[in-house]
Amino acid sequence: MQKSFRVILLIVAIIILGFFAWHWLFPNPEEVIRARLKKLAETASFEPKDGTIRRALKASSVPEFFTTNVEIVVDVPGGRTQALSGRAEIQRAATGAVQELRGLKTEFLDINVKLGSDKQTAVANLTGKFTPQGDYDFIVQEMNFMLRKVDGKWLIYRIETVKTLSFAPGKNIATQFLADSSALHPLVQRRPLTKRF
Amino acid sequence: MGSARAPQILDPENMSLPFLDSACFAHLYCLRQMATESHSYHLPRWLQIAVVGRRPKFTLVRIAILIALVFLMRAYVLLPIKIHGPSMLPTYQENGINFVNRLAYLHSDPQRGDVVAIRYSGEHIMLMKRIVGLPGETIAFHKGRIFINGNELPEPYLKFPCDWEIPPRTLDADHYYVVGDNRSMPEKLHMKGETSRERIVGKILLCKNLFASSSSSSR
Repeated sequence: MQKSFRVILLIVAIIILGFFAWHWLFPNPEEVIRARLKKLAETASFEPKDGTIRRALKASSVPEFFTTNVEIVVDVPGGRTQALSGRAEIQRAATGAVQELRGLKTEFLDINVKLGSDKQTAVANLTGKFTPQGDYDFIVQEMNFMLRKVDGKWLIYRIETVKTLSFAPGKNIATQFLADSSALHPLVQRRPLTKRF
Repeated sequence: MGSARAPQILDPENMSLPFLDSACFAHLYCLRQMATESHSYHLPRWLQIAVVGRRPKFTLVRIAILIALVFLMRAYVLLPIKIHGPSMLPTYQENGINFVNRLAYLHSDPQRGDVVAIRYSGEHIMLMKRIVGLPGETIAFHKGRIFINGNELPEPYLKFPCDWEIPPRTLDADHYYVVGDNRSMPEKLHMKGETSRERIVGKILLCKNLFASSSSSSR
């Protein structure tokens, strides 16, 4: 009786270990994307104690997460719509941020990943939390990150802010993308920014 | 002699052995004292009962059940929140603790005047707003006052007047218009607007926060 119990216990332990080993060796795309976005958040964070070289290295690493023709559209309440396009502009923005701010903590929370039907594209809906060093207040913004698999790496090719209040399903570009991922690129380039939400 | 001494160390009461000299006796006495003191390190009975109960196994089971209940309550019934920001002043002070009742809208729809929690992409950070417009209604702001289908909405909870002007808009089905109680800030800096029903996590349980800091009330 005791021996059979031990055998069952051993089998259960092997199954659990096997499950975790399988997920570690062959992670599913959603997990890979989540890990990638968390890595981006880490790279986009810096502290006052970080030296100039470390800050510069971090700023130069940020564009590696994006495709060459990346587009970022920021539309927040009380501010005008701002757009960045291309890795060079992102690099400039990142360098400016590390020079201007004493420190910045970037967090991406509640990441919901939806894969496209071709499994080569995905949309990550997340909440970005940005806390400048020394500030009690933080900035919160819901965003959609659109990613594409390029040479085995998930790269971001578009970021757009989501208007959490006034969100209208069906008018959002990410919703349309999920409906038909094959029509993504023409759709992204053709649609005017003002009608996105 | 050595072999005779060894067991006596553990039993120094036996002092009738003729070959024990006085030094050896003193040594054994010290050892006995140390052994007695080491026994006194045990917790008193009342403390044992207070910490682990009369039946420790049952206490362990009780703790496990309690932890499971807390997790279930948090996941499906009451979600504790900490309020950050001045948007709901003066009704809800900053840094206060409150709860979101997830079951509030299980069998009924949100009502006008309800203070609700609205999620972003998840529940790590949420918005706390008051529902002022219901699905299908037309809402507008004129001189800081809310008009629903052309009729002014009485808002006794409002303490800070404003001069917001927002043109009329009709809400979609299953959409609610939410706004904070603190409207002393410029209209563009205040997060307000339409939200879908599925984004409403639940109703705020308490009318006033727990542990609200007095310093924040002045903001």
